[in-house]
Amino acid sequence: MTPIRIAPLAATFLSGLLAPAAWAQDDTLRIVTPYHVTTLDPIRSAAAGNIELFGQLYARLLRKTPEGELEPGLAESWEASEDGLTYSFELREASFSDGTPIEASDVAFSLNRVASDPESAYPAAYASVEEVVAVDEDTVELRLSAPSAPILSYMEIFNAGIVSSDDVEARGEGAFASDPVVSGPYQVEEWRPNDRLILAANPEFWREGLPRIGRVEMIEVEDPNTRTSMIEAGEVDVAVDVQWSQVERLRGLDGITVPLEPSTWINVVLLNHDAEPFSELAARRAAVMALDRQGVADAITLGNAEVAGSILPASLDFVVPQEAPETDPAAARALLQEAGLEGAEVTVMATPGSQQTAQILKALWNAAGFSVTIDQIDGGTFWERLPAGDYDAVPSSWYNETEDPDLAVRWALCGTYGNRAFYTNYRNDRVDELTEAALRETDPDARAEMYAEIQRITMEEVTNIPLYDRPFVIAYRDRVDGLRLTPSLQWTLEEAELAE
Amino acid sequence: MTLLRVLAARLAQSVPVLLGVSAVTFLLMVATPGDPIRLLAGDRVTEEVAAALRARYGLDQPIWRQYLTYLGNLAEGDLGRSLRFRVPVAELIAARYPVTLSLVAMSVAISLPVTFALAILSARRQGGVADQAIRLLGTAGIALPVFWLAILMSRLFAVQLGWLPVAGFGETFAERLRHLILPALSTAIWVVPILTRNLRAAILQEMERDHVAAARARGLSEREILRRHVLPNSLLPVLNLGGVMLAALLGGSVIVETVYALPGMGSLMVDAIFARDYYVVQGATLVFALTTVGVMLLTDLASAALDPRVAP
Repeated sequence: MTPIRIAPLAATFLSGLLAPAAWAQDDTLRIVTPYHVTTLDPIRSAAAGNIELFGQLYARLLRKTPEGELEPGLAESWEASEDGLTYSFELREASFSDGTPIEASDVAFSLNRVASDPESAYPAAYASVEEVVAVDEDTVELRLSAPSAPILSYMEIFNAGIVSSDDVEARGEGAFASDPVVSGPYQVEEWRPNDRLILAANPEFWREGLPRIGRVEMIEVEDPNTRTSMIEAGEVDVAVDVQWSQVERLRGLDGITVPLEPSTWINVVLLNHDAEPFSELAARRAAVMALDRQGVADAITLGNAEVAGSILPASLDFVVPQEAPETDPAAARALLQEAGLEGAEVTVMATPGSQQTAQILKALWNAAGFSVTIDQIDGGTFWERLPAGDYDAVPSSWYNETEDPDLAVRWALCGTYGNRAFYTNYRNDRVDELTEAALRETDPDARAEMYAEIQRITMEEVTNIPLYDRPFVIAYRDRVDGLRLTPSLQWTLEEAELAE
Repeated sequence: MTLLRVLAARLAQSVPVLLGVSAVTFLLMVATPGDPIRLLAGDRVTEEVAAALRARYGLDQPIWRQYLTYLGNLAEGDLGRSLRFRVPVAELIAARYPVTLSLVAMSVAISLPVTFALAILSARRQGGVADQAIRLLGTAGIALPVFWLAILMSRLFAVQLGWLPVAGFGETFAERLRHLILPALSTAIWVVPILTRNLRAAILQEMERDHVAAARARGLSEREILRRHVLPNSLLPVLNLGGVMLAALLGGSVIVETVYALPGMGSLMVDAIFARDYYVVQGATLVFALTTVGVMLLTDLASAALDPRVAP
């Protein structure tokens, strides 16, 4: 073929290739997120990407309204015994995605599994569960060894989802490999590990007419620039974890909103109480006083986050603002001098995500009389050195999967839980005592007081340094209606809609 | 030697190469601190659960034991399971490998015609305006960081102009072609200058040869001389360089695949390293090594076909 004959052909071909894409006009909702789905089994992981997914695949006994009230889910009604040790749930008529009925035996199987399977990743919520028994086909009895104030709310959380006992017994681990039998609003159309998960509406879902969106793609993209470009170009409807520096620009664009929604994420600086100098209260207090926490929050989030008022995430129940020592580098230095700790050497571990915070810590702490060096590590190394107590200080963040503070306190402040107060090695008997008492206390006012005392003590003794409460930074295209991520990391996909 | 015997000998040679690669990868991964279990089960998993998981996946065994087990399974053709996703490594690679191969094929398809056109244009008038301009642009192409360039192109062509997609691979053939244009262009921009320089030098060298002068004396047109005498002889050095670069393209896919969120081998490898997903890293490395061995073999066979003096 001569060039002249090729030219029109090539032109047709090229114009076809370059035609503007027809994304974002079909009835598939696309969410791009940096968090990976690594398992479809609700008990096997408590990592963010999985938590977000489990709620879509597996229905729970109870549901939570947008206002945070508990309401009937798979359980139509329930009642608690006088002593708070037995809860009895009446199930509604509902089916799994394969059409088989959801029975009490499935519920008992699922809850016993998450509570006591040796590979259950996060059974802490069910520590007081003795056993779950199917009384008859549609009655389940939850038996506790001790009262647990938040136990009802735990019947709604991410790993309390109901799986099919028949299917899991028949297929074993394979039941969750690619096409689990589900009870929630969505089922798995296709899972491409490390790339995307495609969900399709579960026609058997018990809430009739829901979900309204027929198909959802959860696309995993690590690079934040790419995620931003994707929503700008209209390739996705929702982009999770927009960079702080991009928030204002995206807000200026037509058709995109970036609401900052409350999360339970809190950014903190962990201090190792087992190593000099932070084994000394004076050094920990000096470390707080040296930090302009407002300045840190503003520098990192460009004014988009609030300074942490308490050591617990602000959106949890029973959280009350606490008094923190005032920012005063000179007083911090005086405190260090008095304790004979001036010039104390501190190694700050820094992961790629916390470089900036580490640099600020270094500058501010050096100005107050510490001698800081930064140790660069990656995420994998972080999880080796933190539990081993092989560090002095490290900027980190955490979140709580529930709005009840019990698990949060156990994770971050309590010395008797397996992780020694988020690996800070902090230990205070009074805090440990209060943690147990507050779990059993059923009077909300009395509970509130106990949690207030825990917050007061741990702020005073500087268990860790809370920096700021971080909202979710999620960008939405306008055609998405009614979708948000709840503080307990559940998408409200079930009732969301796509505008025409 | 017959072709079959060459193939057999090469395959035999590749066994120690692959063994060496796998041993080095294994040692490097093991020497890197990190804990796959946390990344797998979430931050909040307790020490007991973590220990149970380690035992279940054999991570509590001594290193040499783990490696021997791995080799044993490998001998049976089993690449193992991903620690993170609990799916067979072979499945992950099967889904990813075609994407990276397509990217490489597309990059080559874009690079080769351009390389030939530019090299011939340059060589035709050495030191001429075209030659100077092409050299300047080529230097720029090599000097520009791929990462930066890729982001820039994505902003311009995908976000601003909306001509091409930002990310992903698409489902249909036409869609995939569209998805590959920008990644392949980003790759071509540093590949073309290197190959062009090489081919231009080879052409110029050939032009000086006696047989070319003889052809000219016989009154053949410059076009004929280029086509029949110069180009075939200039291909050999470029072919060898091309083989090396093809292998480099596979490795270079990491950056481009990250920026354009292409679900290929490069992004699989990087994620697996960060997640300490040992068997995926092992499997991906082996596939990269095998591909390199294969490409080198093909290059040598092609060289032998082009020039009978070269023994494969």
